[in-house]
Amino acid sequence: MILPRAASGAYPTKAFLAKEMPDVLREAFGTSDIGESEQIEIEAPHIASDANIVPVRIKSGLANTESIALVVAGNKSPFTAYFKLYESQSFVSTRIRMSDTSDLLVVVKADGVLYANSRPIRVGRNSCGA
Amino acid sequence: MAGSIKIRAYEFDGEVTVKSIISHPMETGPRKIKKTGKKIPSHFIREVIVSRNRKIVMEAFWGKSISRNPFLSFQIPGRKGDTITISWLDNRGNSDSATAKVR
Repeated sequence: MILPRAASGAYPTKAFLAKEMPDVLREAFGTSDIGESEQIEIEAPHIASDANIVPVRIKSGLANTESIALVVAGNKSPFTAYFKLYESQSFVSTRIRMSDTSDLLVVVKADGVLYANSRPIRVGRNSCGA
Repeated sequence: MAGSIKIRAYEFDGEVTVKSIISHPMETGPRKIKKTGKKIPSHFIREVIVSRNRKIVMEAFWGKSISRNPFLSFQIPGRKGDTITISWLDNRGNSDSATAKVR
């Protein structure tokens, strides 16, 4: 059985603690200058009916996708999730919280290069404290 | 925390689709209990590790912006009969692990 190591040191603590938008990218990826790519497909509702459960599906059309990161610009801690992929994988889906209407930014690392794409998601009532 | 993970995994055309739900409060921190005004301390999953046939295929790092009872779905190469193991670790040191066979 493989368990997560409690102190693996791999957890990007600084990225999760960063509060403002360009800082988050700098802490997480070392740069805030990331090129856009339409090959990152983001499937998410235009208007989230429940801000606490916003389903997102990410499909990366980029060859050799190594990691997928989700960043919600409007949240108090914008860095949401970071998926490291070790095989030929290109799809990840989960459910996220959004405290306000904002952009969902998806950063994909493929062949060592960072690419980003974003989608605005509108949020109704029931916002949360994330 | 045993029994907190549900996994479904099925193969089609050499690709395994895994869907899973973890029962976890994913408490963000600042929330208060209305009656008493007591703050609920944060309690969320930090790390999820997925392995296929005992080899790690995905590592996920999560923050507080992941919904309660997290849903996680992904696709990996594989075939019927492979074993998929998902394990998680939260910020309080709790953990759980579950294994399912690919159908």
